[in-house]
Parts: sequence; structure tokens; C-alpha cells
Amino acid sequence: MLFLYKTLKKENNNNMNNIEYDEIIKENIGKDNIFKNVFIAFFTGGLMGLFAQLLTDFFVNYYKININDAYFYTFCFFIIVGSILTGAGVFDKVLSICKCGLIVPSTGFANTMTSSAMDNKSEGFVKGIGANIFKLTGSIILYGVVFGIIFGFIRSII
Amino acid sequence: MTNYYSDVYINDYYSLLSSSKFNPIILDNVDEFINDYYMGEKTIEEAEVRYQELTIKKLIQKNKKKNISLLISGDLQNQILSSTLSASIFKIPYLGIYSACATFCEGLILASNLTNKKSNIIVTTSSHNLVSEKQFRFPVEYGALRKRVNTCTASGSVSALISCKKSKIKIESSTIGFVTKTNHKDTNDMGSAMAPSCAEVIKLHLKNTKRDPSYYDLILTGDLGIYGTEIMKKYYNKITNQELKNVIDSGSIFYQEENIYAGASGPACLPLILFNYILKQKNYKKILIVATGSLHSVLSSNLKLPIPSVSHAVSLEVDNEIN
Repeated sequence: MLFLYKTLKKENNNNMNNIEYDEIIKENIGKDNIFKNVFIAFFTGGLMGLFAQLLTDFFVNYYKININDAYFYTFCFFIIVGSILTGAGVFDKVLSICKCGLIVPSTGFANTMTSSAMDNKSEGFVKGIGANIFKLTGSIILYGVVFGIIFGFIRSII
Repeated sequence: MTNYYSDVYINDYYSLLSSSKFNPIILDNVDEFINDYYMGEKTIEEAEVRYQELTIKKLIQKNKKKNISLLISGDLQNQILSSTLSASIFKIPYLGIYSACATFCEGLILASNLTNKKSNIIVTTSSHNLVSEKQFRFPVEYGALRKRVNTCTASGSVSALISCKKSKIKIESSTIGFVTKTNHKDTNDMGSAMAPSCAEVIKLHLKNTKRDPSYYDLILTGDLGIYGTEIMKKYYNKITNQELKNVIDSGSIFYQEENIYAGASGPACLPLILFNYILKQKNYKKILIVATGSLHSVLSSNLKLPIPSVSHAVSLEVDNEIN
């Protein structure tokens, strides 16, 4: 038994161990520049927010609808534009420039659903689109609802 | 395991490139270039079948061979779908193989071992950018943000005809590699996952054949990418205390245009570069091709298992004076 253990240990010493290899990987690859991406996302996301606010104000002032309906229309506008741009094959190109500033708002949600549906279109309406449209967005919806309930509780207590 | 062959040759090949994305270096040399992801089909999966069908058909026509004794092919789709579908078009005995991007070398090794005086064997492989995006990564139009270590799958297909008839590319020997596994789990970075297996199979081949790395004019690796190649060289240096100088990685040189990726990948990447770039230069006599394959699946990456990888080495001797 001891002999077997020793031979096994010896073999391990001859090969490179995993920690050493991880160090080689770290040395060569380094890290992505997160700050640049975060800054771009912050800026573009902020612009999107500004645009959404202007759009809401436009609905309220020009069409004279109440503010809650105006929010709803703005939301729909973003989803429709996101889906159409995804379908036209433009969204991913814009996204590579704007980074996460476009993923976090509802445009990202629309893009995820539309792209999943487009990918599985060829597999039919039931097993393709129906089964796969929530493949990526399913987790957003589920955890959105779960955390909505949790924070709703917290807010009602406070 | 190393095998030596006295009379096995690659008689001819036919290559198809199907995307001009990032201006590939082989764009002018390739046998056929069709800038189409669909090839008149409704789905991308069927388009890949057409890629393989085209290269096999053209290769048979070009050589006027009627009695092909075996077809060995593989690709990246689930259950190697496009290989089986394209094989169903021809009435040729068929072996389907899968070792991800190491498929071409595995096919060459199998063909070299199975060939005899009368047989003609075709080895085919293909890859399709959109198919592998859909299968291994995210939906095509999703536009997920890439890391620097990501590779972009090359689209195309290559068929090679192997027999005992003398020609300018001789398969001299081959080494079958073993599967390696480290702690590496990031499927974005397949170069780091494949580098150990690549270094190990080069070490094994040189040890079994009692050769030095300088024996070869060129060691052409598969699709390690820019970062993976450096990691492989360092790993090799640590396990053998020798330096590899004459290494070119086909994935790293594939795209000429500056892009966000670390290079090309896919089973078709190595043969496309080998036949249409390296052999066209005519200044390499002894070439060791090492195809590297990362054997993960979507399930294994979701289960957070380490990525296993395998590489196979084939030693080629090129004599440009023979036609």
C-alpha cells in the first residue's frame, strides 16, 4: 500500500501540477481591462436612460397620456426596437461597441428572446421556438419574480 | 503510440472556404471559395452537409477514382450529424469519428493504418461558424460579449485522398496522444485547455522516435490561438527543459484582419492552413502536424467539470519534385 502511494506521489511530482499550470495561464493571459468596459457600459446605459426619460416626457406632453401609461409605452418601444434590430442582424454589432449598456435595459431582454427564437426557428414552432425562446431569459424571469417577492416583503416591513 | 509507415501518401486534397470574415490568409489559394453560410439550404446544419458533399464530390471527380474503399469523416455537430448525412449521399463504407478539432489528424492516422495496396481512403472534416456558435456558445444574433481568449470558428471543409500511390506528401509516422485534464474550466479559453495535451503529444512523439525538435522544419499546431501557443511553449519547456522554436499555430495566423478574437478554431482550421498556406510555400520538408481538440460538451461545462483535451501528431515529409 505504502509502495503504491509512493509511486503515485512520484508520478505526480514528475508531471506538472495544476497550480503551476494555472500560474502559467495567468502569466500569459492576464486580465481584461474591466474599467474601460464598465465605463463604456455606464455611459451608454446612462444615455439609454436619458433617452427613455425624454421619450416618456414626449408621450406625456405631446399625447397627453398619464405618466404610468407613458412608462408602459416607453417599455414597449424599447422591446420592439430591440427585437427589430436583432432580427435585422444589427444589434450584436451595436452591442460590441456599447457593451453592457444595452444588455441591462429591456433591449437586452428583447435581444435575448428574439435571438433564441431565431436560432431554433428551423426546429419548428413547438419544439423549436416554443421550447427554446425562454432558454436564456427563463432565469431572468424566474429570479426577477423571486427577488421581486423578497424585496416587496422587505419594503412592506420597513 | 507511434506508428511508422513506409508507403502511405496524401495523393490529393480539395478544400472549401465558406466565409471571408476577417480576411483569411488562405483566401486566394483555396480550391473553392463560396461566401455563403447557407448554400441554398434552409438551415445551417444542412449547409454544413453541403460543404462536405462538395469537397468529397470534387475530390472524386478530380482524381477520376471510382473505387473509394473508405470514407472517414467528422465534424463538430451533435452526434456528428453532418458527416453521417453527407456520407449517406455516397455509397462508400463509412467511419465517423469525433475528437473535436483533432478530427483531421485522427482521420489521417486511421486512414494510414487501414490503407493497403489497393485501397483509396478519403478523410473529410468540416466546421461551420454559426453551427458551433449555436451549439457551444450563445445564439448567433445574441451578440454576447467576447473575451480576448475566445476563438472564432473557421467555416469550410477539407477532403484528402490517402493511398499507397506515390505522391509529394508522404505520411511518415504518427503518434496517438492521450487525454489530459487540468483544473481549467473556462470554455471561452480553449487554448489553455488544449496546450498541455499538445505539449505532451509532441514530447511523446519525439521521445518515441528519438528525435529532437529541430529535426522538423516546422511544427504546425491546430487551433491553440495566440495565448494558447505561448502557454504550450512554456509548458513544453517545463516538462522537457527544451525550447520549441519552429512552431506555427494555424489558428493564430488564420485571420489577417485585426479582430477581437485570439485566432481561428475548428476541425477545418488546421487542414485549410496546411494545404493552402504551408504547403504552397514549398520551403518546408519535414512537418509535424499536431491537431488539438478540446473534448468538452455543453453539459460538461454546465456541470463545471474540467475540460479534457486530446491531441494527435502526424509527421509529413514533403518532396516538391514529385508531381
